[in-house]
Amino acid sequence: MSGRKAAMKRARVLYQEQELDITIDDQGQLLTADGQTLNEADVTWLCPVKEPGTIFALGLNYADHVAELSFKEPPKEPLVFIKGSNTLTGHKQPCYRPDNVEFQHYECELVAVIGKEGKNIKREEAMDYIAGYTVCNDFAIRDYLENYYRPNLRVKSRDGLCPIGPWVIDKDDVKDVNNLRLITRVNGEVTQEGNTADMIFDIPFLVEYLSRIMTLKPGDMIATGTPEGVVDMQPGDVVECEIEGVACLQNTIVSEQAFYGDKY
Amino acid sequence: MTDSIVTGMLVCVALNDKAQLAALEPELHEAPYQKPPTQPVLYFKPRNTFNVAGATVAWPEHGEEFVVGASLGLVIGKPTCRVSEAEALDYVAGYTLVHDFSLPETSYYRPDIKGKCLDGSAPVGPVVVPGEQVDNFHRLTLVTTINGEPRSELNMADLQRGAAELLSTISYIMTLNPGDVIATGFRGERVPVKPGDIVESSIEGLLALSNTVGEQP
Repeated sequence: MSGRKAAMKRARVLYQEQELDITIDDQGQLLTADGQTLNEADVTWLCPVKEPGTIFALGLNYADHVAELSFKEPPKEPLVFIKGSNTLTGHKQPCYRPDNVEFQHYECELVAVIGKEGKNIKREEAMDYIAGYTVCNDFAIRDYLENYYRPNLRVKSRDGLCPIGPWVIDKDDVKDVNNLRLITRVNGEVTQEGNTADMIFDIPFLVEYLSRIMTLKPGDMIATGTPEGVVDMQPGDVVECEIEGVACLQNTIVSEQAFYGDKY
Repeated sequence: MTDSIVTGMLVCVALNDKAQLAALEPELHEAPYQKPPTQPVLYFKPRNTFNVAGATVAWPEHGEEFVVGASLGLVIGKPTCRVSEAEALDYVAGYTLVHDFSLPETSYYRPDIKGKCLDGSAPVGPVVVPGEQVDNFHRLTLVTTINGEPRSELNMADLQRGAAELLSTISYIMTLNPGDVIATGFRGERVPVKPGDIVESSIEGLLALSNTVGEQP
């Protein structure tokens, strides 16, 4: 064997009614812990973080997105909000558009997954606390914005509107997390392009900032915000959020009725 | 805390005190709010905040002032997805109390992570009283004392939105599961505490949640 070792990508899937921890090799094969290869068509992708903890998300963390939303100057402090675990779903799972809304958009975001407990972590040591990275689509429904704890839970904590995955890639397998291309495609057409280099508050800053307030624990996640280029989504649309060298997350929009079925 | 009553999400309702809303009314029409809230104002206390009855709640590392509010807590008993107001309380396993320790709040415009997410700042307990043991809880009064002195009183009738309405509304945003807890509302005016204070909130004959405020580091 020569050359570099394969990147370690870890995912969780439902296979024959069992939740399995799997790895994905460089050929994209799905491998179980005992070496069995799974056919992707036979699995349901789950949130790749086994015991999801607190989900932090950033608003207005890309200079260009701030401009797009007509704020005059970049924020001096990060805008952090928390999302409920009810929002998590996996790759290729359906995401719904609520009835009677005017504007629902995707937000393609790099997610840092915490791997080690820590409080008052210094910026210089912050990366020691990161296990790996994944991608999420932090959907927003702008119709529901109100100026109280904005962005409020009605906008950002809805069932299944934070798909994440397909996998978590080990931190050491991402060369430069501060220089990753980010691309969103809707029905195959590129609608959003950016680079993590344009984040206003980078991951070490966010780890230091949050851990000064509270203890971070393994399974906590920090969704780092999205650049400019958000467009409205309709049922039937297929949205792909890709971060180069990390993952490409795909989901299809369905109606509220299709999503909730009997509970609608 | 592994033994917290909350094993899932702790969702709290802010700005649900009628008197507070009335007092703030002019301000809520101005920037940055523009208009009063049309929906329940919700926030999370994340898992690092979960704590228990009897616990000492650490004094904030980066704060000069510390305040507490008390709320009735609805403990969810079964998956609760898009339920009507009429049936909402059938999904509640029982009632408990929630202490929300936080830094004083000066604005409701942005999520208050710095103020609300301090470690151990959300004691819940001491027990879950089954719903059938609670008679007409809409009229219950929650009294908070500091070192035995009554400092705050909240009657459930003082809430802008009651438990059933809140649970129904929230269940259309997020599916709730057993072990999730909803704190239905706090007195708008939170109570300042000092290191060493004993904070006890109680509903007479039903529940009493006591916590001690930690010493200044």
